[in-house]
Amino acid sequence: MPRVEVCPAEELPPGERRVVRSGGREIAVFNVEGRLYALRDACPHQGARLSAGAIGGTMLPSAPHEYVYGLDGRVIRCPWHKFEFDLETGCSLHDPQRMRVATYGVGIEDGMVVVQTTT
Amino acid sequence: MTDVDTKAATSSTRRHGLAVIDCDVHQYFVDGIQDLFPYVSESWRRRLGIGQSLAWGGNFANTRISLPKDELYINSGGGWRLDSMTDSMPPATDPSFVSRHLLDEYGIERAILLGGHVLGLGAMPNAEMAGVIAGAYNDWMLERWLQEDPRFRGSIVVAPQLPDRAAAEIDRVGDRPGVVQVLLPLATPAMGEPHYYPIYAAAERHGLPIVVHPSGTESIYPLGPKMAQAPTYYVEWHTALTQPHQSNVLSMLCHGVFERFPNLVLVVAEGGFAWAVDLIWRLDKNWSGLRDEVPWVKRVPSDYLFDHVRFTTQPFPEPADPAHLRAICEILQADRTLVFSSDYPHWDFDDPYRALAALPEDTRRRICVDNPRELYGDRLA
Repeated sequence: MPRVEVCPAEELPPGERRVVRSGGREIAVFNVEGRLYALRDACPHQGARLSAGAIGGTMLPSAPHEYVYGLDGRVIRCPWHKFEFDLETGCSLHDPQRMRVATYGVGIEDGMVVVQTTT
Repeated sequence: MTDVDTKAATSSTRRHGLAVIDCDVHQYFVDGIQDLFPYVSESWRRRLGIGQSLAWGGNFANTRISLPKDELYINSGGGWRLDSMTDSMPPATDPSFVSRHLLDEYGIERAILLGGHVLGLGAMPNAEMAGVIAGAYNDWMLERWLQEDPRFRGSIVVAPQLPDRAAAEIDRVGDRPGVVQVLLPLATPAMGEPHYYPIYAAAERHGLPIVVHPSGTESIYPLGPKMAQAPTYYVEWHTALTQPHQSNVLSMLCHGVFERFPNLVLVVAEGGFAWAVDLIWRLDKNWSGLRDEVPWVKRVPSDYLFDHVRFTTQPFPEPADPAHLRAICEILQADRTLVFSSDYPHWDFDDPYRALAALPEDTRRRICVDNPRELYGDRLA
């Protein structure tokens, strides 16, 4: 299976991110509180680099005038237009059926962070 | 924060090859109006608190004020492209960074600057102070930005509170190299009112378009432009930012401003344009029966709009069916009336190669290249 080595695991501690090139694609790899995520480093809207985006949570759908914060550490927000994407699925939060960013398998093999580049 | 790889960017230029003219780029002071120290008199330094104690108390009191802005409406994601800044550099404060990050990356041949910190000058209650800041800003822009990269062009700003002083400022700096238009910060009087005529006369005298842009003061400050109702949410307020532009364009058409100043051009920057469809349809219809109230409006009102008003594209509409957008562009004669803008470095930035993708290639070229050239002419050379 096509795979690309990113870096030694100790160089991607929690809170850090890396960009790795594979073929013509650039893939953003994140360590969020010990969980690894890999996404295509291009927002499907206008192509901004998601690797420059902020990771956090979001306000969950709720009743009018009520705020319910959730999904902390599960959401990446595009650095330009603030579109939100679920790090697990790549689906956008505003239109999950039609707008999503590609995600890739990512793990640690023999001390190296490795991305599986076939989805 | 990951470093921005600006080298990778040039690939998009090579791929698309348009010599784009970006008609709305914002540059900023690093340290509020402290940056204006070299350009104001000693007396006004004292009055503005510029260059005095940098102790916390002094800063807090007045010396770090920028100018009116939208701090009562909070964008939870921040107001910026997150990749336009570093920990030590606020967005669009370093000309060489902007050159690489915006101009080189997107193959932008000319970028027209509208000072991000002076958009709200029209809401300032002290008219003299607004005039002093406008003049100092112009000198700062001419020296700090226009001399840094030959691709930058500038909008001089005037204080709308004092029209005669504003006209004198246009006479002072309107023909300096690199100046392409006059930024008129939005204010309370509607823009068809005679209050503004000295400013329009001066702009016309120098062959400079007047540009207007959302101010950040809408429905926040008493002298800023008004919206209908007071929005609750940022998303509501930001969407409603087109409202003052609708009222101002309507006012100018009904007052016969373009009959009085037949060579005047108005550029509506970041003010939307789809609303103009409804405006001209309603106005043309009403004028058919009510023209005797405004007999100086000699032609069907929409004629004046097509001849004298231009709109920047960003934030470009993204309807679910692109055919609807093409219909709007056809109605509004986008081949003449739209000029591309990115709004760098703001959060709602438009990429010239992505944002307009729904339009035919020849229309995109008109909007990105030909229309701006016709609008600004030799001042882009």
